[in-house]
Amino acid sequence: MAIIEQRPLELTTGAPAVVERPLGVLTRPQGSTGWKSWLFTVDHKRIGILYGGTAMFFFLVGGVEALLIRLQLAQPNGTVLSADTYNQVFTMHGVTMIFLVAMPLAAAFANYLIPLQIGARDVAFPRLNAFSFWCFLFGGIFLNTSWFMGGAPDGGWFNYAPNSGVLFSPSHGIDFYALGLQITGIASLVGAINLIVTVLNMRAPGMTLMKMPVLTWMLLVVQFLLLFAIPVFTVALFLLMFDRLYDSNFFNVDAGADPLLWQHLFWIFGHPEVYILILPSFGIVSEVIPVFSRKPIFGYPFMVFSGIAIGFMGWGVWAHHMFVSGIGPISVAAFSLSTMFIAVPTGVKILNWMATMWGGRLVFSTAMLYAVALVSMFTIGGLSGVTHAISPADTQQTDTYYIVAHFHYVIFGGSVMGFFAGFYFWWPKAFGYCLDEKLGKIGFWVTLIGFNATFGPMHILGLQGMSRRIQTYSEGQGFNFWNAVASIGAFMIAFGVLLFLVNVYRSWRRARDLPAPGPDPWDARSLEWMTASPTPEHNFDEVIHVTSQDEFWHRKWGQDEEGRIVRIAATEDVAHDGSNTDVHLPSPSYWPIFAASGLPLIGYGLIFNLWFAVVGGALLLGGVYGWVFEPPDDPDAAHGHDGDHGADHGDGDGAEPADAVGDEPADDEPLDDEPAGDEPLGDEEVAPVG
Amino acid sequence: MSLRTLRIGGFVALATVLLSGCGKHPLDTFDTDGEKAELIADLFYPVLGVAIFVFIVVQSAIVYMVVKYRAPAPGPDDEVRPGGYPDDEYPGQNHGNTRLEILWTIVPTVMLAAISVFTLVSLFDLDDVEASEESLAITVVGQQWWWEFQYHLDGDTESPPDFVTANEMVIPVEVDVPLLITSRDVIHSYWIPRLNGKRDGVPGREHPWVIQANEVGRFAGQCTEFCGLSHAYMRMWTEAVSAADFDVWVENQLRTQPVLVEGDVGYDGQQLFVGNCQSCHVITGVTQRDRDGDGTPEVDTWDLYQGTDKYVDPAILTAGAAPNLTHFMTRQTFAGSFFDLYDADGDLNRAQLEAWIRNAPAEKPNNWENQQGMTPFTGLTADQVDDLVEYLTTLR
Repeated sequence: MAIIEQRPLELTTGAPAVVERPLGVLTRPQGSTGWKSWLFTVDHKRIGILYGGTAMFFFLVGGVEALLIRLQLAQPNGTVLSADTYNQVFTMHGVTMIFLVAMPLAAAFANYLIPLQIGARDVAFPRLNAFSFWCFLFGGIFLNTSWFMGGAPDGGWFNYAPNSGVLFSPSHGIDFYALGLQITGIASLVGAINLIVTVLNMRAPGMTLMKMPVLTWMLLVVQFLLLFAIPVFTVALFLLMFDRLYDSNFFNVDAGADPLLWQHLFWIFGHPEVYILILPSFGIVSEVIPVFSRKPIFGYPFMVFSGIAIGFMGWGVWAHHMFVSGIGPISVAAFSLSTMFIAVPTGVKILNWMATMWGGRLVFSTAMLYAVALVSMFTIGGLSGVTHAISPADTQQTDTYYIVAHFHYVIFGGSVMGFFAGFYFWWPKAFGYCLDEKLGKIGFWVTLIGFNATFGPMHILGLQGMSRRIQTYSEGQGFNFWNAVASIGAFMIAFGVLLFLVNVYRSWRRARDLPAPGPDPWDARSLEWMTASPTPEHNFDEVIHVTSQDEFWHRKWGQDEEGRIVRIAATEDVAHDGSNTDVHLPSPSYWPIFAASGLPLIGYGLIFNLWFAVVGGALLLGGVYGWVFEPPDDPDAAHGHDGDHGADHGDGDGAEPADAVGDEPADDEPLDDEPAGDEPLGDEEVAPVG
Repeated sequence: MSLRTLRIGGFVALATVLLSGCGKHPLDTFDTDGEKAELIADLFYPVLGVAIFVFIVVQSAIVYMVVKYRAPAPGPDDEVRPGGYPDDEYPGQNHGNTRLEILWTIVPTVMLAAISVFTLVSLFDLDDVEASEESLAITVVGQQWWWEFQYHLDGDTESPPDFVTANEMVIPVEVDVPLLITSRDVIHSYWIPRLNGKRDGVPGREHPWVIQANEVGRFAGQCTEFCGLSHAYMRMWTEAVSAADFDVWVENQLRTQPVLVEGDVGYDGQQLFVGNCQSCHVITGVTQRDRDGDGTPEVDTWDLYQGTDKYVDPAILTAGAAPNLTHFMTRQTFAGSFFDLYDADGDLNRAQLEAWIRNAPAEKPNNWENQQGMTPFTGLTADQVDDLVEYLTTLR
């Protein structure tokens, strides 16, 4: 099979050979501006931004759902939502926040930062990366269209059988759950494989695994967790789908099924999922705290290995969600013990962050405030975790608001605080302007206080006996006061989030009047700060040869004879200015979005009418076909250099999608290091960006 | 320092409120009145104490560092360095300290190991259900959205129950009563927080549990496993009575209800009940159904449950498996214990009961078209509803 590179190939004779493009093979899109360039992009940075933007949109959707819940529960006998609507809203709040917010936000940071932190040009499989994003987006849209098609899922995010069966939930909501999460699962799985290959194969020369930034390490652990956890969930969702759509009996008790099967499958996925949600933020604060303490991360190997340990131990604790499910005291004892001891590696991380700050010079930028808030708030979530790892106590606490409090301290106080730290920290890198610190700090305090006002009282409510997932409570149960406080807190959080959005807009408007932040606005340590802001499309101008952990920092700072830290080079002399436009980059592609668009149609087809599925299947197969036979390059783009690593490259005409590296396995050296080596760097000022 | 004081002050205030409990909390897990609940609380308090201690240490250390190691803000004359620093000064660089890190790996491990010993002891104590021969055992059956309690006076849960009741379990005080918890449809969870932790009722499975009260009294409960539309409205009570009172109560429950004849108070209501309600509700001695399939119905007796697979037969979702209303007036609540049967003065809560009979889905969310919950009877006239209530008041 000839895959035609539609450009003059240099034959051994020296004569150019032009090969005709066979019928049916499409061109590749070109251009790097305009909306189309976003639809067809394979650039890991743009995909990261798309992930982040989409996740923030869903964050607002899930936030509105949270506010509806809090409105309903603000007083006893609330009448804001009917029981049916309430069940849909709390289900979709959980599903949205977990699958459409926290996981894709982690994917946003992973996509944007992993290649930069390991000094690579892109991820290993750029088109797969785009496919992964579109699967997530279409899966998320598919799930949310259930609101307009007879009702959203109403079985909780945990969706226990047999309540999830057609007999007990006759609307199509849970069909949307089963199929929608299958689609977003494809996104996670594909992304995990892509990022694992990227980290293992595409690190800059000299960057051994134990020189990687902690964030990259944590994200790598997360990808392995996804790789093994998602398939379990896939199986569970398939069983559910067959039960609901084709009358199979996997969860039909009447036919002899045991409903605990679903619980085991769900939590074998669901507990590693908790670490999938939290480890990225652990990575983020491991980057932020050292920078704003002016100290290296304390105990790098312990940080890495505790992350790995959490990853491993995370597989052995799932049944702590089932202490009252009736699995018997021996099982409960085993999972109770394993759950307690997973607190150890987590505690090590907390203490190591604190030791990083100890004796440092702390600057409380907004990013640092959020990072310290994570250390502080996550500690609360971790400690309350120990109080129900002791399984007898859990028989009182499980399925009460005590648990709601606990996991919001973990997921909001942990993950979300970490993500916000990451936003404020890497915003200048991604967009070329800093977020306003003053507004950021106001937003931080509003969010922090609102968060504690919302979820702190839930500890009390839970111990006073308030069950989870109840649509209402009565006067006389004694839940009035703290529910009212929690509802007020929820609106404070909403205000805090609003301030963040205002900050993004205002800072963007004002950026044109302010000096550009430059490549390294925080005096940071890792490689992503060694290139211009916003990151140029080709990431780095030349291959970075890594000799130490925190390579970039070590190029800026050294020690004098007395061991004091002194500057040895100006940032501008070390960082790349992004001027090298002659780097080979993968071409954009029509096919990832095309193929992914078939998946929701298949979903609608399975639920409503199989003809939709036929169309969707055709789109998917057509997309895969076009993908496979796509030329590696855009034939119409003007081409500067003919050979890959030959001579004759000096005519760089600036056409960006340059060479065909699409999805080929990378070389040892991930970057084309041809031209930049001898070019003077750092002479030009970085252009102001608005 | 003020921040620190604020935090600690706030925490103490919080703890006070938490531990004292402000106001009346019928489901309070701290307000224990049963041995098992006390066992749990005795484990929880010290662990909570350790957690609070660690919390204070960690948060104090953070606050200390925030105050002590804060870099000076750039003055007006300083050139602001990247990151907001006033100068290029770096503190001592410390890449880690293996001894220290091993220490703070081992210390929590030892602490947790100590906790785990107590946990294991309590755990097996909690599950230690001594089903003594020939004494009371109760099968608890969850159902959308109410509870059925099947009494086995001889403790033999394999055989059919001696009698059943709904939503309110009556037990003798101070006695460990073994429970066998299950469900007819979806998963429910049986929880009387002041007496014991919770245990799920899973269809097709029977989970042993135990209930015991130290004192005479009524103890509130709430279904705690999400069970669909009306989950919030699925409540229950456990009433602990003296041994003598319990015997009297049992004696009464074992009695079947008399069939009223024309002229008796409630006779019209009884006829309405038999005409409209008996396809779902049982009143032993009165309602009838064809259990042996010979075409002629038999009067329901306490043998009703003989020979049926009472837990998982989906047909039983409706037929004969709405709350058994025999001795209805001896209960304090109705409709999944969501409504009080009597007001504060001890008078019948007639308005609520009539509303419930006329249009149950309007009072408590259900999905009766899908056979989940009570059908509305909006066709009944006001007189007919009056008659029905009149009849129900005879079920003592």
